[in-house]
Amino acid sequence: MPKSKVLIIIPAYNEQESIKKTVTEVQKTGYDFVIINDGSTDNTKRILADNNYPFIDLPFNLGIGGAMQTGYKYAHQNNYDIAIQFDADGQHNKSYLKDIINPIENSKANLVVGSCFIDKTTKTRRSSAIRTFGIKSLSNIIRIFSGKRIYDPTSGFRAADKSTIALFANNYPLEYPEPISNFEILKFSNLKIKEVPVTMSKREQGKSSIHSWKNFYAAFNVFLSIIILSLRRKHE
Amino acid sequence: MSKLQIIMIIASFIFLLAILFSLRKNSMSIKNSIAWLLLPIVLLLIAIFPTPIETLSHFLGFEVLSNFIFLIIIGLLVIICFYLTVTISQLQTKITKLIQEIAILKKNDHDKKSK
Repeated sequence: MPKSKVLIIIPAYNEQESIKKTVTEVQKTGYDFVIINDGSTDNTKRILADNNYPFIDLPFNLGIGGAMQTGYKYAHQNNYDIAIQFDADGQHNKSYLKDIINPIENSKANLVVGSCFIDKTTKTRRSSAIRTFGIKSLSNIIRIFSGKRIYDPTSGFRAADKSTIALFANNYPLEYPEPISNFEILKFSNLKIKEVPVTMSKREQGKSSIHSWKNFYAAFNVFLSIIILSLRRKHE
Repeated sequence: MSKLQIIMIIASFIFLLAILFSLRKNSMSIKNSIAWLLLPIVLLLIAIFPTPIETLSHFLGFEVLSNFIFLIIIGLLVIICFYLTVTISQLQTKITKLIQEIAILKKNDHDKKSK
């Protein structure tokens, strides 16, 4: 089987402390990668330029959804077979990359989600009681409205195949992109999602894009989006 | 002619002038001005021909005519606000696409140059 063309997309917003370390790790894997500088206001851009890293520089901050979609557009235009979302803050571990690529190479799935909740061996920082409860309820809501189960709908560690890249390049949610795009795929497309167990480490630097006090608001927002999306007709 | 009518006529004229002025200066597109033009025109019509509105207001049970006029104006403002939100959302989508396209073009350009 010919080796597939893999692109690792690293969205970065004000990640000056951790970006270099993350990129060094990713470079060791030998895969192509591109960093999306999402209008950072710190030294992220300078670090990227000084080290000659391949990066796409967004002139304004678009938020995680708009930044990731830029990566998918780039992957689509450059004919990549697999695009992987990899966080700049060091919470994703490169040793799981082959696990999330494998199901796509073996045509078992169109989108592979690195999941912290698929079995008990992968306990992580995410396992605070309230967070687990939030993700469980989200998983249940998605099941109610789509009829299908995804255990870790908020995981940002995902690998997309060609057809999923094409879909995301064309249509990707700007806010809370992971749970909403997972839901849209489950509900409206024939693409297959597979979850594989991964362990995520604590964030090394910086703040998560979802702040803790905003979690409740975020959950509410996602629930509402899912309900509204359910009312829409199947889109092309 | 009541005081309310006179105030309404003056206000409508000032408002109309302001809209026409910004249209002349090209600071508002004609397409977007239609909703705003509607507001003073409706007000003017009410001020000049108050009888049908008075009858309707009485029929609907408003105790004071001005309350009914407030309701009409608020209704028109709600429609305009709604329309503005729709427009802003469409603009946001377009700007996002532009930012993404420009960033990718810049990257391709950079890659070409460094080859």
